Amino acid sequence: MSTSHIAPFVKSSVTIFKDMLGLEVKSGTTENEGDSFASRGFSVIVGFTGGWKGRFFLDMTGATAIQLASTLTGEEYSSMADEEVLLSGAELGNIISGNAITDINNTYPGLNLRLTPPSVFAGDDLSMFNVRLNSCSVLIDTSAGPIKINVAVEEGKK
Amino acid sequence: MKGIKTDGTAIQVMSVDDSAISRKMIKKALEPEGFVVCAEAGNGKEAVELYPKIKADVITMDVTMPVMDGLEAASAIKKINPGQKIIMLSAMGDDDIINDAKSRGIDDVYCKPFKAPELIERILKLM
Repeated sequence: MSTSHIAPFVKSSVTIFKDMLGLEVKSGTTENEGDSFASRGFSVIVGFTGGWKGRFFLDMTGATAIQLASTLTGEEYSSMADEEVLLSGAELGNIISGNAITDINNTYPGLNLRLTPPSVFAGDDLSMFNVRLNSCSVLIDTSAGPIKINVAVEEGKK
Repeated sequence: MKGIKTDGTAIQVMSVDDSAISRKMIKKALEPEGFVVCAEAGNGKEAVELYPKIKADVITMDVTMPVMDGLEAASAIKKINPGQKIIMLSAMGDDDIINDAKSRGIDDVYCKPFKAPELIERILKLM
């Protein structure tokens, strides 16, 4: 697991936060957490397969998830468990990881990475484990609150 | 109102995407300009089955969808009507996918996140 694995996801996230959601992005901090991390309460997971195998996590508080969903749809929500908040989180994870994977595929022709459908988890005291995969996190401080990006990758044959 | 044709009728758009939020955002981008989203489908198979029953000027088509992906669906629709205008609208847009889309006759490729004015311009270019 190296910074070259997470860099396209960070770049894509910052672009989407700024251009699609209009967020102010203040700073990013790398975090080394081994194979697990404690969720802030709302986590989107998108898997990818092909020449590399791995997972992309987007983790934030419920309040941040609600704010992002409202920005996307123009509607107000009171709970992170609202179906449209969950679907908005999934779409956001899909777009960020799709853009990152596009960048990786164009940089390393032949990898042919493809995404799996996103999953969204919302609740208290969630622990996220990357079983058998090394991971790296970057905590991005945005005007909607901190958003963690965690990428776990295993390189296969290229 | 950019979505109104010179004969006074609305440009009809079919939206194919497995994300209900994405379909909602497409609708919100187009309808204020007079476009009509005449049909929505949540995967490629639904789109192909629905297609003969509707009349869309342009189809926006996601790529990664369950049951049948957007590339296969676009091929099937182009087989029914080679003149059907299709814009691939997906988060994935690497060179392989773009080349695959072009080989299937897909008219335009636009990567998400989309901006409403650009989506509208791309639809109008195909009219």
